[in-house]
Amino acid sequence: MSTAKSAQSGNGNGQQTPASKNGSADSAAEGQAAQVAGEAGGRRATAQSMAAKQRDISVSEFFAKNRHLLGFDNPRKALLTTVKEAVDNSLDACEEAGLVPEIWVHIEQTRPNRFKVGVQDNGPGIMKKQIPLIFGKLLYGSKFHRLRMSRGQQGIGISAAGMYGMLTTGKPVKIISKVSPRRPAHYYEIQIDTKKNVPEILNGRGDGVDIPPGEEGRKYIAEHEIEWVAEIIAPDGASSEVKSGTRVTIELEARFQRGRGSVDEYLEQTAIANPHVTLHYLDPEGNERTFHRSTTTLPPEPKEIKPHPYGIELGQLVTMLKDAKGETLTQFLTTSFSRVSPSVARNICETAKLSSRAAARRIGREEADKLFHAIQETRILAPATDCITPIGEELLLKGLHHVVPGEFYCAATRPPAVYRGNPFLIEVALAYGGASSAQRVSLDVLKQLLHESDARTLRQFLLNTFDGVGSDGAERIMKEAQIGTRQSPAKLKPSEVQRLLTAMRNVNLSEGQSMQVLRYANRVPLQFKQRDCAITESVINTNWRPYGLSQSRGSLPSGPVSVMVHIASVWVPFTSESKEAIASYPEIQKELRLGLQTVGRKLGMYLRRRNKVKQEGERRNIFLRYLGEVAGAVSQLNGASREELYQQLLEVAKRKTAQADVKLDDRGRPIGEEDEEDFGGNVLIVPPADPGPLPNAAGPQRPAGERTATTQSTQRQLF
Amino acid sequence: MAKKKARRQPAAAPEAAPDAAQLTAQDHKTLDALREMADGVVDAAGRSRPPHLDIPSRSLSNVRYNKAKRFIEMGRGTNRRELFNLSQAKSYMQTMLVGSGCKQLIQQGKTTSIRGLYYLLKHTIEGTREETFDDQADCDPIIEDVEVTLNALREELHVYASNRGSMVGNVVVNDSGDEIDCSRMGSGGYTIPSIVEPEVIRFVKVEADFVLHVEKDTVWRRFNEDKFWRKHNCILTHGQGQPPRGVRRMLHRLHHEHHLPVYCLLDNDPWGYYIYSVIKQGSINLAYESRRMAIPGARYLGLRSKDFERCSLSPSVTIKLNDNDIKRIKQIRNYPWFENKPAWKKELELMLRNGFKLEVEALISKDISYVTEQYVPARLQDEDFLD
Ligand SMILES: Nc1ncnc2c1ncn2[C@@H]1O[C@H](COP(=O)(O)OP(=O)(O)O)[C@@H](O)[C@H]1O
Ligand SMILES: [Mg+2]
Repeated sequence: MSTAKSAQSGNGNGQQTPASKNGSADSAAEGQAAQVAGEAGGRRATAQSMAAKQRDISVSEFFAKNRHLLGFDNPRKALLTTVKEAVDNSLDACEEAGLVPEIWVHIEQTRPNRFKVGVQDNGPGIMKKQIPLIFGKLLYGSKFHRLRMSRGQQGIGISAAGMYGMLTTGKPVKIISKVSPRRPAHYYEIQIDTKKNVPEILNGRGDGVDIPPGEEGRKYIAEHEIEWVAEIIAPDGASSEVKSGTRVTIELEARFQRGRGSVDEYLEQTAIANPHVTLHYLDPEGNERTFHRSTTTLPPEPKEIKPHPYGIELGQLVTMLKDAKGETLTQFLTTSFSRVSPSVARNICETAKLSSRAAARRIGREEADKLFHAIQETRILAPATDCITPIGEELLLKGLHHVVPGEFYCAATRPPAVYRGNPFLIEVALAYGGASSAQRVSLDVLKQLLHESDARTLRQFLLNTFDGVGSDGAERIMKEAQIGTRQSPAKLKPSEVQRLLTAMRNVNLSEGQSMQVLRYANRVPLQFKQRDCAITESVINTNWRPYGLSQSRGSLPSGPVSVMVHIASVWVPFTSESKEAIASYPEIQKELRLGLQTVGRKLGMYLRRRNKVKQEGERRNIFLRYLGEVAGAVSQLNGASREELYQQLLEVAKRKTAQADVKLDDRGRPIGEEDEEDFGGNVLIVPPADPGPLPNAAGPQRPAGERTATTQSTQRQLF
Repeated sequence: MAKKKARRQPAAAPEAAPDAAQLTAQDHKTLDALREMADGVVDAAGRSRPPHLDIPSRSLSNVRYNKAKRFIEMGRGTNRRELFNLSQAKSYMQTMLVGSGCKQLIQQGKTTSIRGLYYLLKHTIEGTREETFDDQADCDPIIEDVEVTLNALREELHVYASNRGSMVGNVVVNDSGDEIDCSRMGSGGYTIPSIVEPEVIRFVKVEADFVLHVEKDTVWRRFNEDKFWRKHNCILTHGQGQPPRGVRRMLHRLHHEHHLPVYCLLDNDPWGYYIYSVIKQGSINLAYESRRMAIPGARYLGLRSKDFERCSLSPSVTIKLNDNDIKRIKQIRNYPWFENKPAWKKELELMLRNGFKLEVEALISKDISYVTEQYVPARLQDEDFLD
């Protein structure tokens, strides 16, 4: 088994970091022992002189020099990566422990260009002796050595974030973790010794501090200003104790910015793909936003699988063979790989012209090559695909609906497929339309919001207060209203407020807006390298025009539409170590295309139906407008009864525009009409009157456990 | 759904009775046609059918050049106008309004200008902020639609266009009972009314030899001041650009009833050619009026493209052709009525080659009265016209 595992680590998580070379510590001392032999003619350096400089590179040193590989290229991304590492860990831990995740993210500015990030979960907690290693040593973790669907991390994980913080601010990482309400919580302040890659514990005389459970502990926490959320407040106001969990606090040099590639975006998108999570987010401007879970069912636990022979590379095969114990070739093949029965193993050996009873360890380079080719030629059953757990259409709809405002939603989960021996699965969900809350606000409410706002500029006010107003939309609103960007929202004159309101109504926010593509791999949002990603490529290559969207060649379609695409796999093929874009395999492209077409067709159906109803309504209005005049003129001409004629014409008008009377049910089917083309399942239609996801407002009517996004700084229920 | 037809009342609607005027036979005919149009709506509505009107098409595709008669005629093509059609609903309503407006005029024995009718019918549609007609241009084509639909002339609908164009010369007319001697009209001339039908205008005495029609009143005044018509014993008319129906009808009657040749003195540009074409063959828009307006025997006297050289004009009085002019020339060249006229083809070619156009006023650069004393007399003398 151990042989299989080591091989999987290379394949499984794709975590090829330079550090793995480092693991087999070449003796640096040897190199240093060989002293410089003196100058040799014109040569600049000799093997000896070079040897003097050849030495072990500590992982931490490597990191310090190559931050960009791990997502710390710039202060803005550093903040995101730190939050992401911590949140992903929390989610993985909660799911693995079977706990419904409740996560708190607090970001606080401590001085210019410096932020403190605190992430807490209600997960299983971490055993005392593990804490320093997890947070103070790079390359220490539990997910590296297995082939299982998980939120593949940036490679080095949370300790890298801690180290980045330490390098830029000199502050230690603070961890508090608790495994049970009756056991003490462990509190550590840790630094990494970057040379040796070992943790250094700063508090409790190098041993950390144990905080007792109960009242005594609460006092200690308060006195020492340790950050810890002790209570979970449910949407209905009920509170419960946080029984176990972990909180990590890192202070780092960073920059906080909203929009593309921001922490806001990451959390929002995480909430969409993880409808079982409740996320509490406090941003540096003091806005508190909660993404409530819409289900309490955890995704089924993903199964760990052995690699499929088709997915293996020659080099990996050689390593695996070398690591084999005393097994025969047949034994090796059947135990290391999935879908290899003894008879399949025999077939492989026969094709490779190797004895099935040869010792696996003795297989030489050339024979391995034969074996590798024999594998490709042998018919082997595709891998079992039950190791992948999709989000599921229903939860995709819920997740999308509660974060992205819209009037139409649909989702499609494709059946699992296989590329290069790796099972994978594509899910697509789409949200369309929905007027921005900026377009529904009344004058009084706008005045109140302006008055209450603590935003410094009008621009900021528009962006923070209303959803669906991008920075482009904000610019256009202010231009139309002829109000300067830097204006303070509280100081607008009444005439300016009026202009602002008119502009908010008139500016077409969806115009020129191109489709928003939300990409996910194993439930983790991909926020960068959009252009290089197979997902984006497939969206662009799909012809959206038949589905009612406008699209120019080679670009994303336009309209108020968002598409989320999720690829779930035991091994997600990223284009590079930074794991920001999906590589294009034909099998993956095909599944993407089919998934996109499924949601596209449903969107097309909805838009056609909606347009028809809308047009008929407009038509009827136009006709009705002229009927009175016509009846009057005709009666003037021939003395017919105006009233009677009017009624008769009205009947004809009604019949001609009967479509407008058709009300759509929540699946977009005309009520009372059976034989219309059906959307099929997994469509959600929000009637235009529905004010969208509102906090509290829905109260008791809202089905328990549905996700709602609440924003405390803005009172959206006023709309 | 009500299958019953709306009750129809006796022909003379009682509410119109008080101020009903003495109606002519023609008026009765027109009223019948109007009532028929309205009955169509009641019938359709009674059968729960969407009502419609078939309006003879006044587009290029529905006119043809009648080689025998030598003018443009309207074909049989019609356009259906439906009440329950988004793009036609409003014009359907407007057509009915114009019909009802005309009925009021006829019943009251009054006539009004097309502008007057527009004001008569313009109001805000109940329950909306929309006007029945936005402006006069919205109303004029509808009046023409009603004319062709009812096969009624404008005057039969008691509507006239504003007067435009004047006349002087050796002719005496009786206009609505007043005798007018057109040789004694001073500097302004007799204003040709918009309705020139025999009921309104009778010729008392026509002693002129021909008609000279000029494009603009500025040119016309030069001729009048120089007493050209007295010297050459002719009638002098102008139509202020494209001549209105009244002027065309006047020319038509003088030509056909009194056999006077009609010569046109127009600018040497595509617009001048077009005016000539309208006088001679009729217009596409009013093709249904060609019968009583087109003058196939009219002649084009000038200005000609060759006049620049013939009269040795200075280049500074020429006007460069613009893109639009060039497009128009090419269009005119393809009109079927210019088809078998090599002289015209040459004329157009020369203009294109010249690259400029000439206004009649350009002749003033030779001498103020060059046009009346030399240019036109010389053309008349040589019978140098284009047909
Ligand atoms: N919030 C947490 N709760 C429980 N265990 C955690 C938590 N964060 C990290 N861990 C443990 O620490 C290990 C190391 O985390 P990390 O350095 O981020 O690497 P990775 O996530 O790639 O395994 C994880 O594998 C997990 O076992
Ligand atoms: Mg991690």
